[in-house]
Amino acid sequence: MKNTVKVERAKKNFTQQDLAERIKVSRQTINSIESGKYVPSTVLALKIAKTFETSLEEIFQLEENDWE
Amino acid sequence: MKEESILKVPMFSPWWKKLALSIFPITVVLGIALGVIMENFTPDNLGQFIYAGWALGFIILNLCKEEEEDEMIKSFRLQSFQTGFYWTIWGLLAIVLISFFTNGGLDSEWFSPYLVLFLLNLYVYAAFRYQLYQSKNN
Repeated sequence: MKNTVKVERAKKNFTQQDLAERIKVSRQTINSIESGKYVPSTVLALKIAKTFETSLEEIFQLEENDWE
Repeated sequence: MKEESILKVPMFSPWWKKLALSIFPITVVLGIALGVIMENFTPDNLGQFIYAGWALGFIILNLCKEEEEDEMIKSFRLQSFQTGFYWTIWGLLAIVLISFFTNGGLDSEWFSPYLVLFLLNLYVYAAFRYQLYQSKNN
């Protein structure tokens, strides 16, 4: 699954630490989500979308290999 | 799904890690001291004593919270228990085979609850630290 968390974060001028504090996770978790190493839970994904005031689908998109 | 109380695993605070890490050298020193003091303390006893102490150290480490215990850490922890269990099966199988071909039987004295506890908790801890390392290194 790919995501645009880094792009959305840049639009809002948030650091990883800022976002981490808003959604109550570690900065390392934000880093792992942005690099695609960790796929967040539905609850955390919704928190990210709400923080960026956008929809879930705008931030998280399925890739071909997610259907395999 | 909300966690049921019967399934909840109580965790130690991160401070306990210091205690857990101190157990490793203390066990070795204490084991050697017992070997010197007690005449009937065999090398096998020393081995089992160290396995027991180190198993305790890894059990505490595996039950210690991280500084920031968020959902990623919890998912790493779940994966590490599954992976650790899997590696323990293979580790024990390797010991069975080595024991079988060197001692010529399956009634080896190599096995003990301390050894199994040590191996399981070592592998769980290793799998957890490996995932943390992977997440920190892009």
